Amino acid sequence: MNTNKENRIDEILNSLDGCTQATAPDFFYTRLKARMEREVAPAARTSWMLRPAYAFAGMTIILLINVLAVFNQPRTEDNTAASEVDTFQSLASEYRLNEGNSSISMYNLNQDK
Amino acid sequence: MTEFELIQGLRNGDESAFRYLVDTYQNRVYNTAMGIVQNAEDAEDVAQEVFIQVFRSIGSFKAESKLSTWIYRITTTRSLDLLRSRKSKKRFGFIQRLLGEDNEPTQDIPDFNHPGVELDRKENAARLFKVIGKLPENQKIAFTLHKLEDLSYQEVSEVMQTTVAAVESLMHRAKQNLRKLLEKELE
Repeated sequence: MNTNKENRIDEILNSLDGCTQATAPDFFYTRLKARMEREVAPAARTSWMLRPAYAFAGMTIILLINVLAVFNQPRTEDNTAASEVDTFQSLASEYRLNEGNSSISMYNLNQDK
Repeated sequence: MTEFELIQGLRNGDESAFRYLVDTYQNRVYNTAMGIVQNAEDAEDVAQEVFIQVFRSIGSFKAESKLSTWIYRITTTRSLDLLRSRKSKKRFGFIQRLLGEDNEPTQDIPDFNHPGVELDRKENAARLFKVIGKLPENQKIAFTLHKLEDLSYQEVSEVMQTTVAAVESLMHRAKQNLRKLLEKELE
């Protein structure tokens, strides 16, 4: 490296010698206090979910799920009554309520059949 | 007000103690932050964050080091946090623009002029700050604290929680790196 370049680099490296301290801007304390007060009682911040892009994307996804659910729902026949009886029957047999010799049998669930 | 009285006052939430703290340290904090983040507005922002953190966590300050050392440590940490967030913002600027969060393109930071530099040295100092910005974090902190804040190697080692020998090594490597970077700049 030539001496000129070397000297130039030294000059740059020494350019901070004698540099004085940067002073904080005027009214620094006032602004600091104002910020502290703001942060103590933070205003209701807008949630990221409420940003239009996210809200719209979320709504679209929910709507799609609903549409898919409606179209994919299996067509079932109305057999509610039959299944209700089945449930009662299985309950009765589980608790042995329909056995003739049961001492605690008070009500025959099959009587309606 | 002694340091002990100041700490006690801060712990008791005494506003005059806080005012005294800010008056005493604001320039040191601001100047250190300014050297690291190289932007006046960001430096003020960092300085505010530093005092808020000091106010909030004075209860956990164990007084094992001097108050000034602790404040310098918070300042350097906060300044580096800002640099990291600036870097990640720049990296993900494209994605942010796509999401519509930030419609303004990220701009390169212009040359920084430290207000304390003498007029005839401003151009050289701006060149130096540009290459300081490219140093690894530890070297940047050691160099800034020593050169801008005029801290001794002993004081720098306390702030950085390392040994004096380690600071000497950091400074040596920092100067070597700066020299190499300047050589490239001047080509």
